[in-house]
Amino acid sequence: MSEPIEPQVPEGASESPVGPYVYDYAAAPQRQIVPPKTVPLPSLKTYEAEVIAQQAADEAKWKKMQADYEVAKAKAEAEGKDAPKPPVKPVPRKDDNDMKTPWPQAAKDPDLLHLQRLLGEQVEEIFEQAGELTCQVRKEALHEALRICREDADLKYEMLADQTGTHYPAAKEFAFSLVYHLTSISRRKRLRIRILVPEGFEPESACSLYPSANWMERETYDMLGIRFKDHPDMTRILCPEDWEAYPLRKEYPVVGLGQRDIDFREDRGGVLMRIAMQKAGQMGINLKQPTAD
Amino acid sequence: MFKSEEMEINLGPQHPSTHGVLRVKLRLDGETVVKCTPVIGYLHRGLEKICENKTYFQGQVWTDRMDYVAAISNNLGWVEGVEKLFGIETPRRARYIRTMLTEMNRIASHLLWLATHALDIGAMTVFLYAFRERELLLDLFEAFCGARLTTTAFRIGGLREDLPPGFVKQARAFQAIFPERLEEYETLLSENRIWKKRTVGVARINAEDCIALGVTGPVLRAAGVPYDIRKAFPSAAYAEMDFEIPTRPEADTYARYLVRLAEMRQSHRIIQQCLDGLPEGPVMAKIPKILKSEVNEVYHAIEAPKGELGYYFVGEKGGVNPYRMHVRAPSFVNLQALPKMIEGRLLADVIAAIGTLDVVLGEIDR
Repeated sequence: MSEPIEPQVPEGASESPVGPYVYDYAAAPQRQIVPPKTVPLPSLKTYEAEVIAQQAADEAKWKKMQADYEVAKAKAEAEGKDAPKPPVKPVPRKDDNDMKTPWPQAAKDPDLLHLQRLLGEQVEEIFEQAGELTCQVRKEALHEALRICREDADLKYEMLADQTGTHYPAAKEFAFSLVYHLTSISRRKRLRIRILVPEGFEPESACSLYPSANWMERETYDMLGIRFKDHPDMTRILCPEDWEAYPLRKEYPVVGLGQRDIDFREDRGGVLMRIAMQKAGQMGINLKQPTAD
Repeated sequence: MFKSEEMEINLGPQHPSTHGVLRVKLRLDGETVVKCTPVIGYLHRGLEKICENKTYFQGQVWTDRMDYVAAISNNLGWVEGVEKLFGIETPRRARYIRTMLTEMNRIASHLLWLATHALDIGAMTVFLYAFRERELLLDLFEAFCGARLTTTAFRIGGLREDLPPGFVKQARAFQAIFPERLEEYETLLSENRIWKKRTVGVARINAEDCIALGVTGPVLRAAGVPYDIRKAFPSAAYAEMDFEIPTRPEADTYARYLVRLAEMRQSHRIIQQCLDGLPEGPVMAKIPKILKSEVNEVYHAIEAPKGELGYYFVGEKGGVNPYRMHVRAPSFVNLQALPKMIEGRLLADVIAAIGTLDVVLGEIDR
């Protein structure tokens, strides 16, 4: 243990000492919630719209460059100067790495097409991405879609491998996406069924079709606060029963709500204070509190 | 509600045979289990929430803490999931080394299972034998990445470093002794009358129930379903490996014991093939220092020692963190089958059933 260094008052800085060293919990970076501004919902429609918008923007930019060039050329000719350089069409930069982003592609898989034929209007979107099949159905048709996937002789998705959800606070028409990852053991295939649900909507439970959904849906309820209709036991599973709020929603801070407000990190016994005074003393800053006299 | 002779007891969460902090509420009629309710969540750390606020590189470190006896499998799932999200192609040598280490990890995990499962049932000696071999494997992990348990062995895009000098020799030494060591365990257990009395016909669950409840891994294969993700959806270098999927039709605790022993033999085979056919070349793909994703979602599953370990990622445009990360933990789903296995059976079988499911609470609660 080194001797504690008494804080020294630097010359000309004696007045207005800074207050005691207190950790500002409210201002801590872990407490700050930055709500997402975008809705990162993978979708072929959105992607295609983005691509078309990007192409249009590029085209407009190129046209503007050409127009600017014509104006500059005419101006240079009128003034008798050398003509400016003609513009070069910008090409996308090539990255020198082993990455190939998997973009969404139109559905070619027979399973997806078959599902679309059977469900008809209920299917909102089908696409493939990174070798995975996604079928987005209307939220009321979830049970129907799962039943077909399980019982149709051409599909035979026997196992529900995983069920989870994502919170999209920036979206207007919905608040959550729910995904069901189905596995066909006999056909060695995977399929993702997705629905979009607004706040307060209760989708039908998949427990009657896939009993493995029991705990998965309980976890989804526990973490995101989506209740499932006709679920045998819709209670929390990982958090305690009296837990408030839903941890995986985006407005929930990483350090938790409430629990850490107990001042267990508060400066009991003045340890933090002493360290701060030491450090400040070494740096020549006066942190000493003004005393009564 | 209760009949007058029924009573409710808690098994755990501090009971040594529950392998962590699993609590099982049991309603007993004498020695018979009438109702069983697993209660979980004592080890919940909010891993998914944490990983949403970490970059793709930082999040991998947290996966070590899920199934802490099979950290390398968890790492494999994470890095391959992220590689799928970004479309990264990994060099062949890196994939071989990954396969080899994952199989070593499978053996280590199964050895720990064998040790503790036998210990629960009352065979103390196997514990010491199994830990002797596990030690050799942990030494290999330590040689490779400096850590024995929380390894963070792989990197997104490949490996941080190539195999250290002497690793192959050390691994071959392990390969040479392991088959006879496996036979040693078998002489201790396979024909042991007490072992058979405690395991044959205990905690049965048939293939139909397994599939309905989402049970995967050795438990499903011991029910006669040859479903192994290494074969069904091969990743890493599994497509180039020659191995079999051991299955048993009996679907009881003894069958699962035999399946896991056979799996260790198959892992031994795979490691041998990796060592013999280890290709030359780089171990790291060319990837940027900062990975920024596009809007994309992937579900990538691998065959962990306990079953299907799946990672679900949602990427945000320009995001360095996953927008959403979800883990499909095999133990979490497998534990759902516990009531089905033991209701109507004896209290002593509960211990055998928990052991045979091979649950790790760090993975269940996340």
